[in-house]
Amino acid sequence: MPVVETKNFGRVEYEAESALEFPRGLPGFEQRRGFLPLHQPENDPLIFLQSLEDPGLCFVTIPVGVVDPAYRLEAEAEDLAAIGLPPEPRLGEEAFCFAVLSIREEGPTANLLAPLVVNPATRKGVQAVAASSGYSHRHPLCAEERAEEAAACS
Amino acid sequence: MLMMSRREGEVILIGEEIEIVIAHIGRSRVKVGIRAPRETPVVAREVKLVGEENRAAAGLDAGLSAARVLKVLQREPMR
Repeated sequence: MPVVETKNFGRVEYEAESALEFPRGLPGFEQRRGFLPLHQPENDPLIFLQSLEDPGLCFVTIPVGVVDPAYRLEAEAEDLAAIGLPPEPRLGEEAFCFAVLSIREEGPTANLLAPLVVNPATRKGVQAVAASSGYSHRHPLCAEERAEEAAACS
Repeated sequence: MLMMSRREGEVILIGEEIEIVIAHIGRSRVKVGIRAPRETPVVAREVKLVGEENRAAAGLDAGLSAARVLKVLQREPMR
């Protein structure tokens, strides 16, 4: 079984078929193509996305449905085609969508503007920037801040 | 900001080396061709924002971030 060195979790053994390939990398990390999703029960529903090439690179992600149960994927057809998906894939079946989390002074935010879309059939992923979706790249996770943001947008 | 009106197929020049071609005008989006020197990065603004956001996220300690997020999720259960 392959093994990956990680800064956060030490040496991790994994099944080769559980690794994901992002053929174009992620914006800001175009050279990082291989990632391993790590799901630990104590951190549910979070999923760590550990780089297979850089031990220190690990994103914290969350299924978009946990942040916004009504989330609609509005990715460009070209981005989806790059990982073997049709233009409007069925979420939770043909495609899984995760948001990269970040921490700001005000609290955690989720990047709903550019979800990580994974095709479980090909184990390929893309960070699909959905420019016309209206979603924020810093969507607050707290209820109060969400209400504020909604007010600010109206 | 300089505003210019252009028709489909027309071109805008920026300096000596950058050409912007209005390739196609659709109902709600335009297709723009850009010719620029290889060393000039050309990206949609959102892609730059996402890159900055990714770098900020990657600079955090994943374990600590996860703990912060879980705390918020439990305090404010998602519907």
